[in-house]
Amino acid sequence: MSDSDYSHILRRDPRGERIARNRLHPLHSTVAVQVAETLGPSGLLRKNPHAVGFIGPNGIKRIDRLKGNAIAITGRRNAQSSQEVLLPLHQVSEPDFTIVVVPDMVGGRLTAHDKDILGQAHQLARSMEAGVAGESTGAGAVMAVVFGVSKEESFDKAGVDRLLLLDGAEYEGYCPEQQVAALEQVEARLKPEYWLFPDSVHGGTDLGSRLAARLGERPATQAWQMNTETTICRGASGSTDITRDTPRLLMLAQECANPVDETRHEALSIEWAPVQAVLPELHDLGQVAVDPNAIPLAEAEFILAAGNGITNWEQFHATAKALGATEGASRVAVDDGNMPRFRQVGASGTWVTARVYLAVGISGAIQHMQGIGQCDKVVTINTDAGCDMVKRADLSTIGDAEKVLDELINLVDTYRQQALHNQNGEKEGAKNAA
Amino acid sequence: MQLDANTSMDLKIVSLISVGKHPTSGRARRAEQDGRAVELGLTLAEAGRGKQNLTVLHAGDSQQSALRSYAGMGLESVRVIQLRESADAVSPLTEYLRKHVPDIILTGVRAESGESSGMVPYLLAEKLGWPVVPRIANIVSIKEGVAEVLQALPRGQRRALTVRLPFIASVDNAAAEPRQSAFGPANRALMEQQQAGSETDTVRSEWSELPARKRPKRLKVVKAKTAADRFKAATAKPQGSGGKVLKDKTVTEQAQAIFDLLLEEGVLR
Amino acid sequence: MTFEWLHPFLIATALLLAAVGAVRRVNLWRAGQPESVDFVAGLMAMPGRYLHDLHDIVERDKYMSKTHAATGGGFVLSLLLVVLVHLFGVQNQILAWALLASLALMFVGAIFVFKRRLNPPSRLSKGPWMRLPKSLLAFSSAFFILTLPMAGVLPEGAGGLLLTIVLGVFIAMGLSEMLLGMTWGGPMKHAFAGALHLAFHRRPERFGGGRSTGLKPVALDQRVLGVQKPEDFKWNQLLGFDACVQCGKCEAVCPAFAAGQPLNPKKLIQDMVVGMAGGSDAHYAGSPYPGKEVGQANGGPLLTITEGLIDPDTLWSCTTCRACVEECPMMIEHVDAIVDMRRFLTMETGSTPNKGAEVLDNLIATDNPNGNAPASRTNWAADQNLPLLRDVKETDVVFWVSDGAFDMRSQRILRAFVSLLKAANVDFAVLGDEELDSGDVARRLGDDATFQSLAKRNIAALSQYKFKRIVTTDPHAYHCLRNEYTDFAGDVFKGVEVLHHTTFLNELVQAGKLKLSRFKGGKVTYHDPCYLGRYNGEYEAPRELLRSLGIEIAEMERSGFRSRCCGGGGGAPITDIPGERRIADMRMEDVQTTGAELIAVGCQQCTAMLEGVVEPRPQVKDIAEILASVLLDDEAANDVENQLEEAF
Repeated sequence: MSDSDYSHILRRDPRGERIARNRLHPLHSTVAVQVAETLGPSGLLRKNPHAVGFIGPNGIKRIDRLKGNAIAITGRRNAQSSQEVLLPLHQVSEPDFTIVVVPDMVGGRLTAHDKDILGQAHQLARSMEAGVAGESTGAGAVMAVVFGVSKEESFDKAGVDRLLLLDGAEYEGYCPEQQVAALEQVEARLKPEYWLFPDSVHGGTDLGSRLAARLGERPATQAWQMNTETTICRGASGSTDITRDTPRLLMLAQECANPVDETRHEALSIEWAPVQAVLPELHDLGQVAVDPNAIPLAEAEFILAAGNGITNWEQFHATAKALGATEGASRVAVDDGNMPRFRQVGASGTWVTARVYLAVGISGAIQHMQGIGQCDKVVTINTDAGCDMVKRADLSTIGDAEKVLDELINLVDTYRQQALHNQNGEKEGAKNAA
Repeated sequence: MQLDANTSMDLKIVSLISVGKHPTSGRARRAEQDGRAVELGLTLAEAGRGKQNLTVLHAGDSQQSALRSYAGMGLESVRVIQLRESADAVSPLTEYLRKHVPDIILTGVRAESGESSGMVPYLLAEKLGWPVVPRIANIVSIKEGVAEVLQALPRGQRRALTVRLPFIASVDNAAAEPRQSAFGPANRALMEQQQAGSETDTVRSEWSELPARKRPKRLKVVKAKTAADRFKAATAKPQGSGGKVLKDKTVTEQAQAIFDLLLEEGVLR
Repeated sequence: MTFEWLHPFLIATALLLAAVGAVRRVNLWRAGQPESVDFVAGLMAMPGRYLHDLHDIVERDKYMSKTHAATGGGFVLSLLLVVLVHLFGVQNQILAWALLASLALMFVGAIFVFKRRLNPPSRLSKGPWMRLPKSLLAFSSAFFILTLPMAGVLPEGAGGLLLTIVLGVFIAMGLSEMLLGMTWGGPMKHAFAGALHLAFHRRPERFGGGRSTGLKPVALDQRVLGVQKPEDFKWNQLLGFDACVQCGKCEAVCPAFAAGQPLNPKKLIQDMVVGMAGGSDAHYAGSPYPGKEVGQANGGPLLTITEGLIDPDTLWSCTTCRACVEECPMMIEHVDAIVDMRRFLTMETGSTPNKGAEVLDNLIATDNPNGNAPASRTNWAADQNLPLLRDVKETDVVFWVSDGAFDMRSQRILRAFVSLLKAANVDFAVLGDEELDSGDVARRLGDDATFQSLAKRNIAALSQYKFKRIVTTDPHAYHCLRNEYTDFAGDVFKGVEVLHHTTFLNELVQAGKLKLSRFKGGKVTYHDPCYLGRYNGEYEAPRELLRSLGIEIAEMERSGFRSRCCGGGGGAPITDIPGERRIADMRMEDVQTTGAELIAVGCQQCTAMLEGVVEPRPQVKDIAEILASVLLDDEAANDVENQLEEAF
């Protein structure tokens, strides 16, 4: 909760009002300010209509019979509503050293993981500025190297002091070789103090490993705690902690540090001579359209699961298709031959990790509940409000599954059509603008 | 898997294997990803001339019984570059691969024991000057010396890539599951030992290794400016003690509620 | 008479050809692997085994037992006398009359065989078996007429040439069926092979009321592990296959067959015969494997069985419930054969279907089938304060917890049992984390290497401590500990009794160590777990326990040794071969015909399978749970006693 919750309460200041009324009060001049009538440059008396009156406690403008002697208790409210918290700006004019962060930029935006790493970079910079063994290294800048088109608008708040945006055509798609060439140039010109990558499946690990191999650095991977001296990494597939000296190149785990939230940064774009295009040995043919049902159940992000309560299987499959969900099933649905065995969710089937699990007609046998233990959001359509699935679910609807699914298909269809319509509209708009 | 006539004849594949570690018992086992690398190698070799085109290579101790569980997939032999436990595996591997020059080298993404940095394929690629394709799910075809590869992306998505032979690829968990390891062939397989000179990994010997500590969950830190806010943050009821149940609502309302949640979660694409 | 020589000639030729056939048949069996058998003792014991053990099983069907006694007995006697009278020409009125009597007996028997074949049930094989009653009738009637002159009823040479020729044809027909068929592969093969099978049976312990149900261990250094080709079977197993009479009793009780899974034990044994002799199954005239056509399978002694002769799915459909073995009048060991072939599939080709590979990997890496952390084995008992053998070193009773420790449903059974143990003040302890999976599933899935490794480590753990009894709530672990660990245990189990919890609890209740109130609830039925009943012969203790609670058990039609499997044994839920119905559903139908509201069970696997049936259905509870629910605590017990005292 922010303090805005209290901001709507208007507090009267009786003392201020008293002083304002009393023109003889020594502090009167500091309180009564607004003068509605002034002598213009030509000698004419000018009336300022905006200054006439004041805003009353209930927000309605009142004519000021006190001739500006009433205290204006309005200011606070207006100020509050329009004021945005402006964080102090952290400036590094002439950096003595640089820490480079190469964020994942999934979908052109910083991920939470990227922000954690920027936070870590600033922690490093601050502790270096404070000095190792009393010897200060001067001011450091955190530089982000961003490939491809960026949609991010708040580099400043995430802690980017310097921004190197490489969005040429050669950086489109999957082009790790080109990216490494660019990073090599950064290394040659800036000699960064540290290289920080997110250790992630979104490309951070790949790029970090490539650069490490190229530079001959032995990187720290899956690092989750670090300072300028030592780093703790997860080893042996996450089952051991390796404590080691901090290397120059690190691939950091999620939540290694808190993101920057108390300062603003310059996010100064750096002018960079274009990197020579390398002849790639890998050619990106683009993402392959994957049928949601071809995604392994354990990996699927969104599962629509059917249980004993499903009677209309055609409709169920149609719903899965409309929603773009991977199909799952309870044991009973599989035993009855309505779904293949590899679709079974549960202790004896697949343990799923879906973000959203929509269970239709599944009452929730204990084995099934074990299988969905890692799901984020569970939604259920059920007839029995007392069943275990409803107890587990974040949202439950009690009623006829067939009707609800019908309605859901309609909603999704209209949503899709609208989206399509908007897209077309946008395209036309773009054309018109051109 | 499609291979054209030329490549199928003399496609030489090397699958690199390591000793895995079971996540709950910590016992040595066939590593999940390395097993998939062998499986992919076997499928490629079987699509071509036969199993003899696949070499399964390990750098380490040939006495390690977990290596037998790879052999149980139907291998006649496993080639082992005999190394001490503290030795660095990359340079003897590079030496071996320079000598034998395969067309495709398959590895896991990360080892299940040791440092598990996932650097081996990159270091080998750098030393051999070959391209490296990380996290592949399958090799779709090899035609005229160019392989079309499917790369695994998060949440079951795939990206198609082409790469010229020879190359190194690390095999993702999304690749085909390794076939069952059978006791009989595992027990009978030959462990072909090779001696190799190697340097001790001195950097690593300075590290300290302990069982993993549990990482603290990140708390939602409330940076309150006023006493009232701090009080509120401290006493606020934790969210989500049971879900929302829509009973006796119309079907439309119920469907709308579900739809809204799906939209909010961003799973409708 | 000019044709005097004809009949003795026919008899002699038939006997000679039969002898040649016998040598050939014996050579087919000798292709199998060596197995040491006490030949003399076996042959000596054979008539007794036939008259007692085999006949006890046939006796379950009175009609057939009488028919067989008449036909078979009459035939054996007749044949002996025919040889004496007609071949060696012993002229003796008494012998002749005796022969007439035995032929008459055989004739009467044959008429009943004929009647049975008029409208045979589906389990019986047709084909040559339909011919058999006619051959029997021909044999007995022809020799009857031929013997009449010798008995002095008819004058010598009566009937003349025509009768001689007609008789000759009948005798030839009868002899070729009865003698040639015996060794060259007709229906009468069962008599020859069956007699030797009884003599050289691989499990002689089964005779004389004994029980031998543990699987035989595999020597892990063999050339091929398990059975790849028919010749990889032991020679007396091959002999056993030849003994099959195709009566289809096994087919009638097989749960997998009833569920429409591709298994028919009778066809399986016949396919083994096809494999042993070479050829195709085109001559098979019984029910096929459900969903599979007859005539497609080909085999030979040196061909891999699972490539062409038998679909691996057939082998994986078996729940190892042993109902077929229990019903087989020839005491053939179907389960042994199936597991032998599974061993090849798992240990040589690595093709355990569905979740099989994963379960085996887990057993190897974590010592439990679901890959749970080995250190979490005692988590269920965190609040139970169980004494550990590691601490106490010595105890009366070792409570073998089994893998139910990882399953939330089974934990309820375990807790109930612990509460009973504590109430009865039993001195007990558990192995805790030192306990491993018993190896049951690994062994049934054909991975004997993993079974042996688990068994040896379990035995090593047990050998460190002193105890008098092992009690377990899991019949599968019970079977392993009691019957299968002995092959590896040395004398660790010397003087140690292995008990199922129902047996042990029954002892406690009968000794008055548990104070129980009467059961208040509806109708109760009891489901016999296969591994408790058929494997270990414990049918009575659970029933007595239930009766002692005042429960009158509403027995199912298939109960006791005829109990139908729940479908959970032999790794069947893991290999999960599709059928038309689920075995558990069929068992639940059995339950529902009794009108019971509660099924008492003595096995966590049965509990899981039966509870997997969609509701509405009767409740399923382990006997330990039922007992714990009527257990009186000390105060309540005193109250009851006081009330009783006041009453008097």
